[in-house]
Amino acid sequence: MKKRIAKLLAVIMIIAMVSTSLAACGKSADTPASTPAASTPGSTGKYYDKSTSAESIVKDAASKGKVGNWGLGNEYEVQALLAKYGQPITFLSQAFDMDGFDNDTILLASAMTYNELGLVKNSYEGGYKYGDKVGIIDMNDEGVAMLEDNIFCTREFAEKNPNTVKAFLYASMKGWEDACNNPEEAAKIVFEYGSSVSSEHQAYMASEVKKLVETDTSGASVKDYGNMDDKALQQTLDLAKKYIQLSDPAAASKLQSMTLDDIRDVSYLKEAMASGGKFGDLEKTSVSIQLKWLPQAQFMGYYVALKKGYYKDVGLDVTIIPGGGDIGETTAVYTGQVDFGVTWVSNLIAANAGGMDLLEIAQVYQRSGLVLVYKLN
Amino acid sequence: MNRVKKVLSSKQIVTLVWVIGLIIVWEIGATVIAQTKRTPEYVLPHISQIVDSVFSDKLVNGSQTATQIVLSNAALTLVRAGIGFIIGSIIGFILALLMNMFLPVEKIAFPYLMMIQMIPILGMAPIILAITKDIDKSRIVIAAILTFYPVATNTLAGFKAVEKAKHELMYSIAAKKKDIYKKLLIPASLPYFFTGLKISAPMAITASILVDTLQGGGGLGCMLSQSLKHAMSIYVFWQIVFFSAIIGILSFYLMSVIEKLVSPYKKVRR
Amino acid sequence: MENGYLNTEAGPLKINAAGEVSTKKARARKKAGLNKDAVMTVLYPVLFGILVLVLWQTQVLHKILGTDTFTLPLPGRIINIIFENVPAILKNVQATVIVAVGGLLLGSVLGYFLGIVAMAFPKWGSGGISIASAFTAVPIVAIAPILNNLTKDLSDDPHIRSMLAKTLVVMITCTVSMSINAYRGFTELKPFSLDLMKSYAASKTTIFLKLRVPNSLPYIFTALRVSVPASIISALVSEYFAEFIIGVGRQIRESIVLAQYATAWAYILVACAIGILMYAILLIAEGVILKGRRHR
Repeated sequence: MKKRIAKLLAVIMIIAMVSTSLAACGKSADTPASTPAASTPGSTGKYYDKSTSAESIVKDAASKGKVGNWGLGNEYEVQALLAKYGQPITFLSQAFDMDGFDNDTILLASAMTYNELGLVKNSYEGGYKYGDKVGIIDMNDEGVAMLEDNIFCTREFAEKNPNTVKAFLYASMKGWEDACNNPEEAAKIVFEYGSSVSSEHQAYMASEVKKLVETDTSGASVKDYGNMDDKALQQTLDLAKKYIQLSDPAAASKLQSMTLDDIRDVSYLKEAMASGGKFGDLEKTSVSIQLKWLPQAQFMGYYVALKKGYYKDVGLDVTIIPGGGDIGETTAVYTGQVDFGVTWVSNLIAANAGGMDLLEIAQVYQRSGLVLVYKLN
Repeated sequence: MNRVKKVLSSKQIVTLVWVIGLIIVWEIGATVIAQTKRTPEYVLPHISQIVDSVFSDKLVNGSQTATQIVLSNAALTLVRAGIGFIIGSIIGFILALLMNMFLPVEKIAFPYLMMIQMIPILGMAPIILAITKDIDKSRIVIAAILTFYPVATNTLAGFKAVEKAKHELMYSIAAKKKDIYKKLLIPASLPYFFTGLKISAPMAITASILVDTLQGGGGLGCMLSQSLKHAMSIYVFWQIVFFSAIIGILSFYLMSVIEKLVSPYKKVRR
Repeated sequence: MENGYLNTEAGPLKINAAGEVSTKKARARKKAGLNKDAVMTVLYPVLFGILVLVLWQTQVLHKILGTDTFTLPLPGRIINIIFENVPAILKNVQATVIVAVGGLLLGSVLGYFLGIVAMAFPKWGSGGISIASAFTAVPIVAIAPILNNLTKDLSDDPHIRSMLAKTLVVMITCTVSMSINAYRGFTELKPFSLDLMKSYAASKTTIFLKLRVPNSLPYIFTALRVSVPASIISALVSEYFAEFIIGVGRQIRESIVLAQYATAWAYILVACAIGILMYAILLIAEGVILKGRRHR
């Protein structure tokens, strides 16, 4: 019997130990909430005022070490902004949720206008319901915009299959045009194709993506879909040269000597759009495209083209492969596992510096979708 | 009193009490978290919430409920894990045989086997992808690579563990090398071989899930990372955590069952 | 130490009368040929390694594997990157080693302690241990993010709290194998040794200190042989998810995602070196501590 009691005591002790340690974790949660942002110059609360300038917000958040980004090639615009205001270019690794922003571990958090910003503002499932109580710093306004989603393939593939490339571009752009004209319908199509994002968020995303596809960095409207604007691309390349840090000396020197001709070719898109939908013999009829991220309205153009048979009309059988894993779209295209890919221009530049020979054949997003979001008092 | 004692001391009861204990600890944690966090379901949800999500018929994407997603993707992952596991154990066994037959093979292979285990999967994956040109094939290959090491080392240990006296007996009756392996070494190494299998079976599943996360497509790992990236209901993540644990344990017992079925020897160890 | 590595999981060899005699003979034989054996142990792998390096640098290996110098960069370029980035690499190595060793020590001590608890209450203990082994089936990719979230409130400094989260992941992976092996070390005693102790009317504490603890020593090393490589791998993987960007594993991931394969390979090489070094230290420690104990 004594033994039994001893056992019981031991069990109780263990449970008590574990629960107190857990409770300790929980309790300490209350304390940090009161400490952050010990008032900005000229601020009336613990966050920022509507009137505070972008410069003082960036400076304040950076001095506290509370600027967040996901890293992994998404950080260059944020670094450029930090450098613009004379701050060290370090940042916190932000998770793929906005919890860090929500609980104040990050004061100035990265967000894509079409995704995270929607989650922060809106109140549907997964949303943080901040509504108008947040402000944003737009990379386009700050002059540090880098271009994002494009379409690319290897130079070798483009040279060997010019007709296939043109046909694919033609149908994809038709898909994008259609999607931008009917964003709500496009959101529905993406949702049906197995997107796991809620349909409300999908609709929000489609409306925001439309803005990125049809407006350039200066805010002017763009009607020729996929246009590769030299000025915006050059700015992207210049910023990339400054902020992409490569440990490999061979790659670093290749990056510095890179020109626009090393990363993009406008001829395929031009000829595709001038063709009127006739392409002669297709070298390859069954092709695949690897997305940069999970299936969502960010890529609605391709899903619309697939659903509405635009690909079939030009004689292509297209498979859309979702991304989101650690083997990036650049590697997948380079190894020949897929034919086309969607990536950010900066990622393509880094990959080419590393030794790949990838070629941008269309620039779908005309302006940067990255913003830094902060809470308002 | 005695009967109560007997029931209490049975193995099932012990396990049951432990499971209940763990559930209690979990629930205490979940209660604390629920009171202090804005999004407790991402940190530690109540078990009832997870169970609810298993039986809920709410669609979490265009066409499937959480449970349907987990099960359909589990099928993909388990098939890959199974194929990788079978290939891995065959290679492991053959390698152990070669290492035991030829000393130089053992001396050469052993340190490199260790090193391969040290290479993070993420580093291996692109190279294997470049060779196979197919993500699903490379997933199988990686599962095989990660599982053959325990099989190889344990089988080799089995060969080495055969007592010298038995060896000498075989020599004294002038048995051929082939016969020594057939009659003595291979049967004697079987328990060790199965020890290796029991270790590597859950590993194959873990590896398979891990490799899934490398690229989109299908599989438990993909869903796990989508769910973690907030692109899908977080309960998919929690279901996968439990599912993978349960499958891991089942795979261990499956190996025990196979061992009992095929082994010509009586189980004496332990 | 001979053949020691063979018992990764099967546990030290069973000792029975026949085995004892035969292993003694074997040892006597081995001693005579020890030098030759030791030379072979080093020479063969080194020669093989040189062969692979030559094939690699001359790109024959690329032809065999059907890959190119981009995915599998030449050794010269990789070594060059390591030499060009020594300070950065050392900073990352330091972070990884602290996590791996810290987690390994914490996990092993906790595991050993759990082994003692399980031994003290064998009926409940063994059940608990089999439950604990179920935890190994949960992939690290799932544990790491959970712990990241759980440790968010422990410190205001993201560097410290992500270190804590990573160490906890490593600790969990190391605890299980140690507790299983320690439990076996405490309970799988030599036949009659327990009866002998009891016949001396030895107290439970004496039995524990004089019989069980020494008996568990080889099992500790069995556990460590599993958990040392596991600690490195889980440290690398937990870095993928950590809040603060540092560590060899994180650099591998960043490089692969950014398609910088030469850099990724440099860090992979560094990770391998850490693993081999830690394993070598373990083997030496085992050789010194267990000298003359094994096959006693």
